[in-house]
Amino acid sequence: MIRHKPEQQRFELLHGTLDMLVLRTLQWGPQHGYAIGNAIRAQSSEALQVETGSLYPALHRLEKLGCVKAEWGITEGNQRAKFYRLTPKGKKQLLREQEHWSDLVAAIGRVMNPEPAKE
Amino acid sequence: MRRRDVDEEIQSHLAMAVRDRIAAGEDPASAELAAIREFGNVTLTSEATKSVWRRGWEVVAADVWQDVCYAARLLRRSPMFSGVVVMVLGLGIGANATVFTLFKAIFLKPLPGVVAPADLQAIVARSSGGRTVGLSYPDYEYLRDHQHVFSNVTASGMSSFNLGIGNRAERVWGEMVTGNYFEMLGVRASLGRTLMPSDNVAPGQHPVAVITDGLWRRAFSADPAIVGQTIHINAHPLTVVGVLEPAFHGTVVSLVMDIFIPAMEQPVIAAAFRPVGTPQAPVGTGMLRQRNTQWVMVLGRPSPGVSLAQSAADVRVLAAQLAADNPTADFSQRAEVLPLWRSPYGAQTYLLPVVILLGVMGGVILLIVCANVANLVLARGLTRRGEIAVRTALGAARARVMRLLLIENVILAVPGALAGIVLARALLPLASFGSTPIAPMQVELDLSTDRLVTAYALALSCASAVVFGFVPAFRISRVNLADVMKDELSPRGAGRTRLRSALVVVQLAMSVLLLVGAALVLRSLNASRTANVGFDPNGVVSLSLDLKPNGYDEARGRVFYQQLLDNVRAMPRVEAATVAAYLPLTLVDGSSWSVTVEKYVRRKDEDLSFLYNIISPGYFETLRVGLVAGRVFDRRDDTAGPLVAIVNDTMAKRFWKTPEAALGQRIRVVNQWRTIVGVAKDLKYARVTESPRPYFYLPQAQQYFSNMTLQVRAGDSANDLIARLRPVVQAMDPNLPILEARPLSEQVRVALAGYELAAGTLIVFGVMAIGLAAIGLYGLVAYAVEQNRHELGICLALGASRADVLRRFLVRGLRLGTIGAAIGVLGAFATTRLMSSVLYGVSAADPRSFAFGVATVMTITVIASFLPAWRASRTDPVTALRRH
Repeated sequence: MIRHKPEQQRFELLHGTLDMLVLRTLQWGPQHGYAIGNAIRAQSSEALQVETGSLYPALHRLEKLGCVKAEWGITEGNQRAKFYRLTPKGKKQLLREQEHWSDLVAAIGRVMNPEPAKE
Repeated sequence: MRRRDVDEEIQSHLAMAVRDRIAAGEDPASAELAAIREFGNVTLTSEATKSVWRRGWEVVAADVWQDVCYAARLLRRSPMFSGVVVMVLGLGIGANATVFTLFKAIFLKPLPGVVAPADLQAIVARSSGGRTVGLSYPDYEYLRDHQHVFSNVTASGMSSFNLGIGNRAERVWGEMVTGNYFEMLGVRASLGRTLMPSDNVAPGQHPVAVITDGLWRRAFSADPAIVGQTIHINAHPLTVVGVLEPAFHGTVVSLVMDIFIPAMEQPVIAAAFRPVGTPQAPVGTGMLRQRNTQWVMVLGRPSPGVSLAQSAADVRVLAAQLAADNPTADFSQRAEVLPLWRSPYGAQTYLLPVVILLGVMGGVILLIVCANVANLVLARGLTRRGEIAVRTALGAARARVMRLLLIENVILAVPGALAGIVLARALLPLASFGSTPIAPMQVELDLSTDRLVTAYALALSCASAVVFGFVPAFRISRVNLADVMKDELSPRGAGRTRLRSALVVVQLAMSVLLLVGAALVLRSLNASRTANVGFDPNGVVSLSLDLKPNGYDEARGRVFYQQLLDNVRAMPRVEAATVAAYLPLTLVDGSSWSVTVEKYVRRKDEDLSFLYNIISPGYFETLRVGLVAGRVFDRRDDTAGPLVAIVNDTMAKRFWKTPEAALGQRIRVVNQWRTIVGVAKDLKYARVTESPRPYFYLPQAQQYFSNMTLQVRAGDSANDLIARLRPVVQAMDPNLPILEARPLSEQVRVALAGYELAAGTLIVFGVMAIGLAAIGLYGLVAYAVEQNRHELGICLALGASRADVLRRFLVRGLRLGTIGAAIGVLGAFATTRLMSSVLYGVSAADPRSFAFGVATVMTITVIASFLPAWRASRTDPVTALRRH
């Protein structure tokens, strides 16, 4: 699919990081899809744009895996919406992914900014 | 539910986005549009989300369905290709469905109306000479009471009966059965009841009968009040207690029975009940207590989980005990268990080799069809290289592309199977022997193309589709874009036709094989038509009579037959007449009598039971059978004269080296020593193709049978002669029924029915094969011409002669033809030997049949390659060059 890049600098989500971002967002409490998308965008200072075409399949995939639990509820604006809540399994998954991510960032960092070898 | 959920969730998302935008001060109308634009593709998101919840197979099924729709669309756009494939496939499936229907009728559903007939097992005695015979009733009882392997064991003795009294009597066929017979078969009555164990208690105490639906309609006009009525069987009154379900017609494969009577009535009915070839039974317990009269066929239904080997072992042990407890001098008591299809009774005995042969040939046809269609698919695939290359370039996995190509083939397989069934329906009446009365019985095979046949055709068609689709799919899916683009620029593009050539060679080779097989069978048919059956059937008619049911005792019967012969011989134009117990060419072996040969030391376990006939003077003259030594029977050979016999040439040579030496020797038959007075030439006693076998004749005056056939030779046509003979019989006894009257030549025709079936079918197969191979070869050469047209243009422009061009393509076709013929001949040499059991009067390596096969294939090769080659030589160089 062809994307229209807005003027503002935005990043494509790295493959496999969306699940982690979603789980992280849900750590603050149950939330619905629209809010999750907005939260990720806001917290990344508008740098990360979450495609709804990826977000909803990801949410349902996580639900199927048992990492989140979905329930219909009412928003503050009195709108019916489906809320996702983190399960214990989801918490564990988040920890694992976070660790994995830090390792990855550290590894990439070492490659990009090699420290001078100690002699 | 999940679907609505997802859509609702998306709707709530959009609603919140719109509300936020309005809150931020946007115009409500534009806010909605903007929200949707920001969201992206709603349908796609919804689909992708829903697909998360699908199971693996659901995803595959959806994919496959997509492929099916796409393939169907594609095939609709090339109706020529689809039509040809369906037609070719239909030919192959039709041929095989025809053979399968025959196979089904004989082996899978051999007994209509019977529950799980193929599970039934026949228990037979095996003579030391290898012949299979029935059991005696006491032996059956012993087996029934001591066996551990069958849930039920039944016995039945087949016989003809006279239904009705006097000259209105008609001959019907039936079985005398034990009380558990219908219970074991699972056959019910549509009116009244069947026979039950309570009908199997005491000899002569059960004067009842059940009749088949066929007889009920034929003889009783489907009278709904038939139950309770009295009918006369061999002049004995029996009460009809039931009419059987319409489908059921007995337990002898293909033979149609009319009536079933309790076996316990045998002693009563025995006034005329003479199982073929047994001396008359005393009244009282009749044959129910005779251990040496093997008149019942025994069927068992194995208990669940019992294998054939287990039941055979159990029966073997019982037979050994029986032999130890009650040794019988004359009969072997080695019992065997056979699956029903190997039971020695019924059509399977003589149709088995034919059906096997046809099955193999059907397989060969199918192979040709697969090769042919594979070629078509390949050719079409080449024109689709572009499309497939694009698919691959866009990331389609090779397996995915192959799946699409295979699905296209399987889609064609379904109409192919339907075309095949239509063809089989057309072909099956050719197997009309199915309703030929195999003298003197009515024969019926279930040749309907039912659900089983349809399922078979579909399965076979789909399997073929996968076979013929796999190779091309594998080949086609291997293209890559770069190659295709290069090829598009080269006139020799896709010129590699090695695989297609190989497929054509396969077709040609298989055609040779089929044609050689067809030629061999045809030559066998011719040989057996002109075969010396040992007698001259032309001009002879036979009338079947049975005196006993009409109250004749032996003395009156002798007088009657003598008087009849005198009267017939006095008729104008009658050349010779005789009465005999059996006609020649009985198709199935009649019964035989055990013989003791004086001064001959019988080897251990040697089978000295031979077929025989009871004849009056005039027999050899009537049938024009020559005498090798001695004399024929005459008026001297009566009750007062010394006991005599005539043996055939084979029997004389077996025991006394020469025919002359046999004269004056003695044999003992039915406890009487007889002197051999003559040696007759051999004739064909059961089948045209049988090898010479010992046979002997006893004079009717010394061995009375009440059931005889009058055989008369005269100058008239068969029908006229029969019309003249009937009044002669009726003048002597107006109440005596004439059971059958037919020309003897019919007997020979029926004996050849199996061959005619095989030959007819194989000719059809052969024509199909060679037609398909011709189309295949033509297509290949024409394709090569098309691919090389540009080059041809150059050659012709540079001065190549048209003859050169013609030669070039002709040679190409002939090379394939030669390779195919060579492989076919080798294959035929290796396989026709397996046909020897169905061949007659021709060797399996018959050079003329081989020459015929090769010549036909080569002729077709020349024609099929000449046409495109000639067209190539007509190429106009200018047009050919301009095209590129």
